[in-house]
Amino acid sequence: MNAPLAGKDGETAFTRLCEELRPDLFRFAFWLARDRQVAEDVVQEALLRAWRSRESLGETGSAKQWLLTIVRREHARLYERKRFETVPVDDLVSGESPELAAAEEREVLDMRRAIFALDTDYREPLVMQVLLGFSTDEIARELGLTQGAVLTRLFRARQRLRRDLGVTGAAEDDAS
Amino acid sequence: MNCLEFRRAAGADPEHLSPDAVAHRDGCPQCAQFLQTVRLMDATILKALQIPAGDRVAWTPAAPPRVGAAVQASLGNRNRWYALAASIAGGVAIGALLWVSGSRDALARDAVAHLAHEPKAMVATQVPADAAQVTAVLAKDGIRLRSDPGLVTYVMSCPFRGHQVPHLVVQTSEGPVTVLVLREEKVSRARKFHEQGYAGTIEPSGPGSIAVIGGTDEQVKEAAARIDSALEWK
Repeated sequence: MNAPLAGKDGETAFTRLCEELRPDLFRFAFWLARDRQVAEDVVQEALLRAWRSRESLGETGSAKQWLLTIVRREHARLYERKRFETVPVDDLVSGESPELAAAEEREVLDMRRAIFALDTDYREPLVMQVLLGFSTDEIARELGLTQGAVLTRLFRARQRLRRDLGVTGAAEDDAS
Repeated sequence: MNCLEFRRAAGADPEHLSPDAVAHRDGCPQCAQFLQTVRLMDATILKALQIPAGDRVAWTPAAPPRVGAAVQASLGNRNRWYALAASIAGGVAIGALLWVSGSRDALARDAVAHLAHEPKAMVATQVPADAAQVTAVLAKDGIRLRSDPGLVTYVMSCPFRGHQVPHLVVQTSEGPVTVLVLREEKVSRARKFHEQGYAGTIEPSGPGSIAVIGGTDEQVKEAAARIDSALEWK
């Protein structure tokens, strides 16, 4: 059951779609940019672009991946325009303290910090898999990688998190 | 498959194991334990990734998305900014009004709309979903099965109204029903609805509710009762 996005009904369908997907699009943008304000800007711009070209999507069935692609491109465009200065990860972590302090559990807070410090190459596929529920095949297509490369990045992302969080007895780390 | 290969596979994609990996897990307690550890860590990763996403006010074509600060800086025309602010205020007012007056109906609509994103959601099949995956998806939400909910043929953790929720498809004698387990959506009593040709019900369950969507009122009522009694919420 895919709702068309053309015409008046399409406007309603598109609005509902944005309501439903916007929180996760924001979270995805946040974990790409590691900055709440930039993430807000990226999502706003992405939704505006999506609205203008909604009829090119045709139906809502593939909307999640379509919107995610727009968010990724908008994030890249914003960085091209702004040419942000390189900031040390530790500064980023402390600069984002409201987000990082929002977790109610110590374990979650520590994990959030560890994910924050992951390289983008590892962080992005992990967010797509765990938060957005994308398959490794879908991630590979989105990132322009082979499925094998995605699997390796996902394995290393979790391996890095285990090490950063001091999880002991991780014999699987030898597998890398 | 040996232990090393299993751990690489499970460490990369713990929710989608190949038949070889499943066979290895079933015969290797250490690797089964490892998989459990990875899945527990993934539950923490998911919680960590779910940062607060801000307000839930929708935007409409009449009130397009607020242009963010980075873009506002490039808008030199003050009148344009005022027009934009006015459209935001209007959008907020309309959005808030719609949200307050129609939140319960909106929940039913959103539940049905969610089916559009899951093409496998209403397929009649007798092929069961991976039991371990069913357990893991429910466990992420602090739920376990204490009795048989029926034949579960599809399971996924899905984004819904700002949260990851378990989405199941359960086969009944009258065909499949889709189930969304909604810890964050509280309802005071069961409510039937009909949307886009589907029959559905949203019923209190545990600290939240379950939305069950199928073909007929009878089908969803029967399925909802069975599923509700099968869920044990922590």
